[in-house]
Amino acid sequence: MLKKVWEVFIGFARASNLGFGGGPAIIPLIQQEAVTRYKWMTEEEFADALAIGNSLPGPIATKLASYIGYRVAGWPGVIAGLLATLISTFVIVILGDVIIRYSHTPALSAALQAVRPVVVVLIAQSAYEMGKKAFPKKYRSTWAIAVIALGILFMTNIHPGILVVCAMVTGYFAYGRKSVQS
Amino acid sequence: MEQLWELFIGFFRASNLAFGGGPAIIPLIKTEVVNNGWMSIGEFSEGLAIASSLPGPIAALLAGFVGYRVFGWLGVLAALLGALALTSILVIVLTDFLMRNSNSPILKGALTGVRPLVVVLVAKTAFDMGVNSFSSIWSWVIAGLALICLQKFKLHPGIVICLSMVFGLIVFQ
Repeated sequence: MLKKVWEVFIGFARASNLGFGGGPAIIPLIQQEAVTRYKWMTEEEFADALAIGNSLPGPIATKLASYIGYRVAGWPGVIAGLLATLISTFVIVILGDVIIRYSHTPALSAALQAVRPVVVVLIAQSAYEMGKKAFPKKYRSTWAIAVIALGILFMTNIHPGILVVCAMVTGYFAYGRKSVQS
Repeated sequence: MEQLWELFIGFFRASNLAFGGGPAIIPLIKTEVVNNGWMSIGEFSEGLAIASSLPGPIAALLAGFVGYRVFGWLGVLAALLGALALTSILVIVLTDFLMRNSNSPILKGALTGVRPLVVVLVAKTAFDMGVNSFSSIWSWVIAGLALICLQKFKLHPGIVICLSMVFGLIVFQ
């Protein structure tokens, strides 16, 4: 048990403290820890947790830390995951004044500028990994959901939570009943 | 005491009205900071600048920065609780319910429907970030090298991130 709590802490400490660019940049790093390294969940389950996370308000990194921490080690896991995700928050509190002095140096902005394309690649890769499991051969119409969602996202400012609910309802009517019959 | 309550409520409001993660929360936190007179806009912008240069979730970083300046460590606690408590509990309850029942045909269908959407949402995030991230030819070189390191050599993303920062010091400075 204690070992699990410790693993949650280490996993989220690594993910959060290498995630430059806020919550979204941390998603692929959490995926790496939760699915690839510790095998706490499958790629599909990670996508499901992300769907719920996306439909609730608040920062995505702490939402994933809460749920995954809970799943792996109960409430102590939640605390461990959250504390690990918040390490940089404690750093900004303790060292805020020192960092302000360096936050405008050309060296730091050069390093951050170089990180951004990597973050884009990581997030795209994250989508690709989930995509491998999201379009089963049995249900080719999942592609239609993706294409329609893409169109809506680019044309409107709709809240992702609404899309999540719509996709679930569509999924229920399209795939939920079929599996009852078969 | 009243200030602690204001911090809690302020960050509660900002976080729970913001959908779409950290970036959506920033303007809402700014509004709370201004309305409550916690600090000057200049000070807040300074905080935002450091928060963006640190790893980790922006909303939590700002809660720490603002909370500490208003009421020390208790202020940090109040702001963090406001920003995180409700959504953390909600996500645990909802996702746990979902996973427990994920063998029911109804939810199986619903999840089959939602997974392609998640892929699209994440891909869109990559696209949106990409629009602002490719400032020069070097950005594309870095992206290409990162892809090779990740896919071919299976390097840990953290190592690739650190390498890219060193690379940036050489080419962007």
